Amino acid sequence: MKTGDSGFITTTMDKAMEWARSNSIWPLTFGLACCAIEMMAVQASRLDVSRFGSEVFRNSPRQSDLMIVSGTVTKKMAPRLRRLYDEMPYPKYVIAMGVCVIQGGPYNQGYSVVLGVDRVVPVDVYVPGCPPTPEALTNGIILLQKKIRNETER
Amino acid sequence: MAYEVKEEKSKDGRKVMRIERDHLLELLKDMKNDGFDSLSLLTCVDYRDRIEVVYHLTNSKTEEMLVVKSETRDSRMPSVTSLYESANWDEREQYDMMGVVFEGHPNLKRILLPEGWVGHPLRKDYDLSKVQYVNMDDEGNDYVSFDPGDGW
Repeated sequence: MKTGDSGFITTTMDKAMEWARSNSIWPLTFGLACCAIEMMAVQASRLDVSRFGSEVFRNSPRQSDLMIVSGTVTKKMAPRLRRLYDEMPYPKYVIAMGVCVIQGGPYNQGYSVVLGVDRVVPVDVYVPGCPPTPEALTNGIILLQKKIRNETER
Repeated sequence: MAYEVKEEKSKDGRKVMRIERDHLLELLKDMKNDGFDSLSLLTCVDYRDRIEVVYHLTNSKTEEMLVVKSETRDSRMPSVTSLYESANWDEREQYDMMGVVFEGHPNLKRILLPEGWVGHPLRKDYDLSKVQYVNMDDEGNDYVSFDPGDGW
């Protein structure tokens, strides 16, 4: 940490920006299959994800900065998913929720399923499970916040 | 009656009628006049040498159900959209998945898979080893290719 000149101020400014950014994640409402039910539970009153600094789900990609891909991505859906991701403003993050999104899951042998959404968009946090519990997704969002604040252990 | 119907009972006690393809429309028209006013399901079974097309009819007043089965060897069937409007999307789905061409259908194109998909995936002779990839062009239309670098 530098002392004296402006370098000191810049680093703290970055920290402050990262802290503010990580505590106001606005996810995109993007449910594709049964995992979306668990995603709704995360947002609802019992497990209220707003307590951890993740706000209400937005219905427009232009107002959101986190895409929680919850559910099987089919080949017909993949170009649309990419398009929605491209419409989101920077900085943007992606959570892959559920085993279907991670590698195809039970539909791995299917003719119409994309084998992992990381072939379509870059993924920041993987949340495994079929479906993951709401607590697991909350943990995934907390992990993402740590990643935004550069606190993750690799 | 100008046609011949083979009747039997299914395991759950439902009445099953087997009919030649040429007389299917006449039979369904008579059944509709008898009160079976709803086509609740239209599906197909692939027996490799033939495809069996199954129509589930419901009488909405008595809640009685009836199954009509017919079969085709050259993947062509008469469309029943003139009798039952709900057959429209069901027949499109069967065309998409099983490759049965319903003659007389007003808009027979794929309903679930992208236009340009090669083959009909629920057929027994569909080749699963050839993976197809889908991408979208600038105008928002899907295109299908066998090249993995060209979509997902």
